[in-house]
Amino acid sequence: MSNTNTHRPRVLLAKIGLDGHDRGVKVLARSFRDAGIEVIYTGLWQTCEATMYAAMQENVDVVGVSLLSAAHMTVMPELLRFRKELGVEGIPVVLGGIVPADDYPKLIDMGVAAVFNPGSSMESIVDCIRKLAADRSAATFEEAMAGYDLGRLNALAQLISCSQRGSLPENFTPPAGKAKIIGVTGSPGVGKSSFIGKLATDLRSRNLKVAVVAVDPSSPITGGALLGDRLRMMAGKPDDGFFVRSLSSGTMVGGLGPQCGEIISLLDGFGFDVILLETVGAGQADVSVRELVEHILLLLMPQSGDAVQFSKAGIMEIASAFVINKSDLDGADATEAQLITSINSDRPVWRTSTPKAEGIQAIGDWVAALPTT
Amino acid sequence: MSVHPSDSPTAKNANSALDAERQPFVGPEDLAAFDPASALAEPGQFPYTRGVHRTMYQGRLWTMRQFAGFGSATDTNERFKYLLSHGQTGLSTAFDLPTLMGRDSDDPLSLGEVGRCGVAVCSLSDMRRLFDGINLGQVSTSMTINAPAAILLAFYIAVAQEQGVALDQLRGTLQNDILKEFHAQNEYVFPPRPSVKLVIDTIEYCTKEMPQWNTVSISGYHIREAGASAAEELAFTLADGMCYVEESIKRGLAVDEFAQRLSFFFDVHNNFFEEIAKLRASRRIWAKVMRDKFKAKNERSWLLRMHCQTAGVSLTEQQPMNNVVRVAYQAMAAVLGGTQSLHTNSMDETLALPSEQAAKLALRTQQVLAHETHVSQTVDPLGGSYFIEQMTNEIEAKAQAIFDQIDAMGGVVAAIDRGYFRRAIAESAHAQQKALDSGQDKIVGVTDFVEDGPPGIDILQISQDTEDVQVTALKQLKKSRDAKKHASALETLRQAAEANQNVMPALVEAAKADATVGEMMETMKQVFGSYDGGPEW
Repeated sequence: MSNTNTHRPRVLLAKIGLDGHDRGVKVLARSFRDAGIEVIYTGLWQTCEATMYAAMQENVDVVGVSLLSAAHMTVMPELLRFRKELGVEGIPVVLGGIVPADDYPKLIDMGVAAVFNPGSSMESIVDCIRKLAADRSAATFEEAMAGYDLGRLNALAQLISCSQRGSLPENFTPPAGKAKIIGVTGSPGVGKSSFIGKLATDLRSRNLKVAVVAVDPSSPITGGALLGDRLRMMAGKPDDGFFVRSLSSGTMVGGLGPQCGEIISLLDGFGFDVILLETVGAGQADVSVRELVEHILLLLMPQSGDAVQFSKAGIMEIASAFVINKSDLDGADATEAQLITSINSDRPVWRTSTPKAEGIQAIGDWVAALPTT
Repeated sequence: MSVHPSDSPTAKNANSALDAERQPFVGPEDLAAFDPASALAEPGQFPYTRGVHRTMYQGRLWTMRQFAGFGSATDTNERFKYLLSHGQTGLSTAFDLPTLMGRDSDDPLSLGEVGRCGVAVCSLSDMRRLFDGINLGQVSTSMTINAPAAILLAFYIAVAQEQGVALDQLRGTLQNDILKEFHAQNEYVFPPRPSVKLVIDTIEYCTKEMPQWNTVSISGYHIREAGASAAEELAFTLADGMCYVEESIKRGLAVDEFAQRLSFFFDVHNNFFEEIAKLRASRRIWAKVMRDKFKAKNERSWLLRMHCQTAGVSLTEQQPMNNVVRVAYQAMAAVLGGTQSLHTNSMDETLALPSEQAAKLALRTQQVLAHETHVSQTVDPLGGSYFIEQMTNEIEAKAQAIFDQIDAMGGVVAAIDRGYFRRAIAESAHAQQKALDSGQDKIVGVTDFVEDGPPGIDILQISQDTEDVQVTALKQLKKSRDAKKHASALETLRQAAEANQNVMPALVEAAKADATVGEMMETMKQVFGSYDGGPEW
């Protein structure tokens, strides 16, 4: 189970405030991936607090903030204040954007690790990120374990990193939990992350603590990855009962990252009520998800032809229930009819549409009624 | 001799890579199949490749329309009055980021942004102050606003009615192009389908009530700035335009009723000849589409009228004086391409909002072009150049290939669902970055001819006072308005949205009941849902 490869730099890239100019941050994300870095992008319109909270859960090596609205002298002190409040001062923060030269020393003085401008070369940015990541001292297993036992979220996040590095002791077993462990799978573009975001909101309203493990593919060439699932799930306010961790699939086939099982048991032991495992778009090999979860939700969408493809591939058999997402699109009736014919059993079939969270409550009811293990 | 850049419609715009593939010169044999009578005709004749008017700038120079805005409604009102007293008749309104996103000044996400990049307008009361002492029957007002465009239009209508101005006397332009927000600029709020419905609501309302109002300024500018190639900018923009036309026809409007009130907005970048070819091709494609596909009978419906702006993304923080030169070349390309109106960027825009001095220099750049270079003395002076005609044909063919891809996906909105536009734009932006990183493309003062040291120009500083004043006034308004009338107007709006009716009349009533932008957006969000950006990022 353990993987002794060296840890890849993990970087969280954030846009804070209302400014939607994301060309820079997207180009950076792709260039980082090409340089073998794992990138977590949290999307537009984030607050300082939500950004640092995400960085804590993901236990990234560096936070990169893109600001083009000239609000850096308001935003950066606020961000650093939350970094302190969340006890993650060890995560360096860098800034890129339109920053007058006069402000550089002020930003460095307040604790920003580096500032880049539109003319900074990609090479210099990547070098800086690599150096900051290498210099960051990771929490040891013993340190992380002590906090984990106390129920500290940042310790949980650190322990997951230990697992990712393959540095959990051989004989370590997390305490047994009582989580309902549910796989969410389906083709790329079917809307898994948005669906999970809405389902998690529903489950939180039932006072269930929810953890999500979201797996995205890594580049087979550089090993870098763009981990974008989280941005569909960003809650308005940080919530200690909603934990999201983004993983790359690494070199594993079958849509799951290495250490996925170990990470699920860490979350279970921490006390979450529901753990949702989002896997890389379903392929034929994706039946491997079955080894890690007790229930599987298969997402389909109208007009995709997935129902036919999936019955051929054997994925239909492993699903516990089916969700026709994006059912506001034309063709939902046909897809549902086709699906009911091909599953030939009484497994539930729901229709959902995420913009208004339609149909989500029924699935929340189903999850809530599942037996605890 | 044959040649020519990649036949892939999404060929990336790393300029030097394209240049390297080009033959050293173009001659008559490269245009063997070219028929000037059908491909060009005369200026002012179908397919309008050479221009929308027969005399073009001899008859009338392009409009020098510099976009600006700042601070509170009162600050901007003073600026408007100053401009009007100096002979300007068109007002151009820039809104602040919270207003653009349909949020009130007291929204937590508005912190630090109120009145910063434009004027804050939360309610009818702000709009009233913005146009205080200005007769709306005698000016033309351009409003750069998208997701909440229908609401800002409702405020404007309500102010006009208070002034006793008939709606059919109102002249102006609403940007109101939500599709490009999904592709590029990210100022969307509702999902794509209800967002388009709102645009069609405004088109329908204006067609019936405000026939002099330009309903949508279909914009390639933001698409290009986000990283698209010239061909992608052209094709995505025209595809968006066709989507609005189709949806308006589905609503029951006749194409000749509304098509003349659609206009376009393009970016003009550094690749001089390619930009000219792009503008020429845009007119030809649109004319054919409107005549042949949508069966418009009125010749005015075939015309693609455009505003152009020089490329903000081409400006550099390093050696900012170099930007003056870039802007001048880009402005000349826009004029040689036959634009109707032009904004030239200020050299300091990568550093801050323009200083007064930089903004004046940008305007002077257009004036030198208009009055000293004589480029306006003849229409389409490059028409018939082997190279320009070849490039115009090429760019038209690339655009056609992109239209075919979009059609195969089921149209613009279906392609948004799939993340097609965002992926294409992000990949083009990444390709351009790689071309810079590898040294294939150059930027003077950045990748080459680099100097150390500070930029050496003074930049504009903006005070933070506006935010406090605006937030206090908003809180006061919320306390003093008629709560019952307010609640009932919002309920009427909700019902209109729920019943899939045109929401414009309900928005006008809600405006008069002192409902705020944020409240009206929130009410519609309950019915329309919100959007998280689609599958690609």
